[in-house]
Amino acid sequence: MEQIQYVGEHLTPGIIGQLAITLGFVSALFSAISYFSSTFYSSDKRWLTMGKVGFGIHGFSIFTVIVVMFFIMINRYYEYQYVWAHVSDELPLKYIASAFWEGQEGSFLLWMFWNIVLAIILIFKSGKWEGPVLGTIATVQVLLNSMILGVYIGFGDDPYKLGSNPLLLLRETMDAPIFNNADYLTLIKGNGLNPLLQNYWMTIHPPTLFLGFSSTVVPFAFAVGALIKKDFQGWLAPVLPWALFSGGILGIGILMGGAWAYEALTFGGYWAWDPVENMSLVPWIILVAGIHTNLIAKATQQSLRSTFAFYLLTFILIVYSTFLTRSGVLGDTSVHAFTEMGLENQLLLFLLIVTLIPVGIMIWRWKQIPNPEKEEPTSSREFWMFIGTLVLFFSSILITASTSLPVYNKIRQLFDPTYIGEVITDPIPHYNKYQIWIAVFIAFLSGLAQFLRYKENSLASRWRKLSIDWGISLLISILLGGVILLWIDTYVWQYTVLLFASTFVVTSNFWYWIKILRWNIKLVGSVCSHIGFGLMVIGVLASGLNENIITSNSFLMEGVIEGDDASLRNNVLLFEDTPVNIRDFQITYKGDSLDLYTKTYFVDFVKIGENGDTSEQFTLAPNILYEKDFSKIAAYNPSTKRYLGYDIFSSITALPQVEMEAEFKKEKEANLNYRTQYLSFDKEITVYDTVTNETNGSETINAFKVFLKGIDRMPTHPEYTPEEGDIALGLEVGIYDTKAPDKIFYATPVIVIRGQLLYGYPVQINPLNTKIKLPEAILDFIFPDESQLPYREIKLKKGERYSINSNYTIAFEGFNRSPEHPNLQPKEGDIYVGGQLKVTNSDGVNFWTEPVFLIRDNQPYFLKTQIEKIGFHSRFIEIDPTTETATFSIAVSSPIEHIPVEIATDSLRYDYIVLEAKVFPGINLFWLGATLMMLGLLLAVIPKLKRKYALGS
Amino acid sequence: MKKIHVIGIVMIVVAVVLLTNAAGDMSTYASFQEAEKSHQRVKIAGELAKDKAMEYKPEVDPNYFSFYIKDMNGEERKVVLLAAKPQDFELSEQIVLTGQMEGEIFVATDMLMKCPSKYKDEEIYIKSGEKEI
Repeated sequence: MEQIQYVGEHLTPGIIGQLAITLGFVSALFSAISYFSSTFYSSDKRWLTMGKVGFGIHGFSIFTVIVVMFFIMINRYYEYQYVWAHVSDELPLKYIASAFWEGQEGSFLLWMFWNIVLAIILIFKSGKWEGPVLGTIATVQVLLNSMILGVYIGFGDDPYKLGSNPLLLLRETMDAPIFNNADYLTLIKGNGLNPLLQNYWMTIHPPTLFLGFSSTVVPFAFAVGALIKKDFQGWLAPVLPWALFSGGILGIGILMGGAWAYEALTFGGYWAWDPVENMSLVPWIILVAGIHTNLIAKATQQSLRSTFAFYLLTFILIVYSTFLTRSGVLGDTSVHAFTEMGLENQLLLFLLIVTLIPVGIMIWRWKQIPNPEKEEPTSSREFWMFIGTLVLFFSSILITASTSLPVYNKIRQLFDPTYIGEVITDPIPHYNKYQIWIAVFIAFLSGLAQFLRYKENSLASRWRKLSIDWGISLLISILLGGVILLWIDTYVWQYTVLLFASTFVVTSNFWYWIKILRWNIKLVGSVCSHIGFGLMVIGVLASGLNENIITSNSFLMEGVIEGDDASLRNNVLLFEDTPVNIRDFQITYKGDSLDLYTKTYFVDFVKIGENGDTSEQFTLAPNILYEKDFSKIAAYNPSTKRYLGYDIFSSITALPQVEMEAEFKKEKEANLNYRTQYLSFDKEITVYDTVTNETNGSETINAFKVFLKGIDRMPTHPEYTPEEGDIALGLEVGIYDTKAPDKIFYATPVIVIRGQLLYGYPVQINPLNTKIKLPEAILDFIFPDESQLPYREIKLKKGERYSINSNYTIAFEGFNRSPEHPNLQPKEGDIYVGGQLKVTNSDGVNFWTEPVFLIRDNQPYFLKTQIEKIGFHSRFIEIDPTTETATFSIAVSSPIEHIPVEIATDSLRYDYIVLEAKVFPGINLFWLGATLMMLGLLLAVIPKLKRKYALGS
Repeated sequence: MKKIHVIGIVMIVVAVVLLTNAAGDMSTYASFQEAEKSHQRVKIAGELAKDKAMEYKPEVDPNYFSFYIKDMNGEERKVVLLAAKPQDFELSEQIVLTGQMEGEIFVATDMLMKCPSKYKDEEIYIKSGEKEI
């Protein structure tokens, strides 16, 4: 086959990037081997240097890949598959980074980027730990780099593909006839970033979360290093700030995911026990357990083995979570859709390597790890802290076991293909009912243990003081809990227990800080985290238990389905400008506005107080985002009103189908049953409409009265934008239902002639389910054949009259220097004047009209007017300035009657939205608590760093 | 024996008890027939019967959406979802419903859909907006 010479491709960045990917892989491998060798042959410093150089080259290579990727994305080189898949011409530059990590390859690169940043710090700061720590990180980089390698291993027809290369060309990845064009690039356009992801959360959440993921490798690497070097104690101090940092950042990353889900997506909550959420939470819990055993080990030499185990497990679980979310194993149990990329086996290998090797080393060194014979005394802090870590571990096991059910099913199906996998019927109560006891234990343990001391054998000497501290904490917490109980309804005793446990952890930690730490700001980290935990749980209880779907309407359609739980009906139907009372509020849908692809709906909320006062009101504006071709809706975005004590969350859940699907709208319009009606001035006609009741088949006949109010030659219509040269015509029509004759609706359907084309702008009258449009035939009625009209010329001075057949008297009332006429759009240099005519018919009714005389570019124009009701036509054709005489050309035809309009009475109304609104009480307490918890972890890093530098100097 | 070991053993026992209890929270995907017999809340996985009528009239009842589902045994039944019609429902490949039978009708309170990814790799959008396969 002939090779096509493609036009306009930019292949150089791709070649540079490919080379950098390969170089990155090889140098990471080289660095890992050198660094580990430096651990075993520590006398030879050259290994360490080679490791450093290797890592330097690796870092440079990966940065190059990232720069190349950004370069081709910013320049929109659609010949690259990744650019084509994630970028489009319309995509704003600020979303390029989001588009970069939208794909799996980009997110692997982001992960590697953070690893490199952390590794560079470690090269300078980790001292004697550099060899094994950097060796481990370099090994992880080898494995991550292999995910984007994209090389084929093996021979024959079906070689194994290692990794997915982000720099492949589009034509290399797919076979399409378009690639027969040498200049295919001029034809294609990019897919762009999924509209759901075009917000600032997508800009900040992934980098934070991936820094969290990435940082868990540091405690892991220290643990591996300590096991290899058999230095089981020396790593405890340097690893701690890293573990705290990692815990803080990973926690913030997870929280941001929750905040995103709550604020921008329509999940309607911040946590749903979704597998993807669970599997990022579990490593965090294990890491927190590890931080606690690390503190114990540093202070008492106890819990060394657990510290190793927890830190190793944290990173293993991060990789396990990567495997679960990216391999497609979770399938239909998760709302997070991750597509399979053929990397399943490679991810499994990654998981096996990071699991088996450290576990192997751990077993190998198990006996050598010091483990004091003497047990922790039950009166010591370390004893209860360790119990706490066991509880955390226990919590992770429960979450992991339930989340891994799809994995278990898959494994079992390997051996028994007939096995039918099990699923958790209702995940949220399932997780909640176990985790609530975990939270109770953790709260009590951390509240009590703060006051205990390390290695304390007996409490006898300070029993009195201790019981006072505990007693005061407990007393205040009971008071505080009681107050909160007045605010939230807990219904179940278990939740009440949890509430008091949470207030106890808050008060006891606060008391500990005042009484024992004496307001010491440097040691505030642990206190801050524990108080944060307590506040967070109170927030969860308040918002979760008292989450109130205020739009659920139990009486609206009750009895339609037998035995149906009415509380499950969560949506309310809102017609435009029609107030609806929901719980505590009166809400009114006020209208919408379209801005590019976003349509925003405005809903007024008026709070109805207990004594009926309506002082408080606000507007919520949930919106929808259309696809670029308006074919359908791409995303629904909620709108939330925030108060200190609670949030009101609203989201559109449905719209009329004509609003949601362009295709349906077209089809619907084409299938409307339009019937032609003939309207005359001052005469009502009746339109009948037969409605069949779908449930019982009975028919009702509605009667509408329709009348013609006027003809508008300068009509307006929401969809019509006037252009120069347009001839527009609107018919003012009045219509009402005979059952409600006092509610008259007025509509002005419009027809426009633009060049050779005719445009129709129908009008919908929603409350009557009626649509009116103007047929083409109307033009013959309104614009009669001029040559058939009996024009005559009359000369009149101001105040003079003229009679036609004694039926009409025409009076010239004077000139008008600023006349208005549909065809008059004044330009500079125009000279124009209007002639004001009053026409009186035989019944004595007066009509006014004003034809215009215009001189433009030395050419005279006579702008015609018409009084349709009496069939009077007039032009202003000459002016004699000396005598102030005007010449008019006038004609009288039969008045316009029986004007055809088309009326469809089966056009269902579409002036409504379907809304769901919820009240989340105390949600700010959740955010405050959770943030304090993570902040506490980060605050705890600072004194540790200072101490380290103090020791160093 | 150390106290820690005692606590550890107690925890293991509790874990086993809890996880055994949790079996009650699990279920297999049921068929309509099984759902009819059990009278309990079950999960049903199936495909949308695209040839049968779907009904969602928000202007009448925004919380009533009915359609037909073919379960794993190939049995077709009417399903009523007591919620708004979700986005891209017609495109779904597989549907998982939580609910129970009420007479002949399966009344669902929760639904998860598995949709093909938004942008199919086989389609290249060319500039006019037409698709080329």
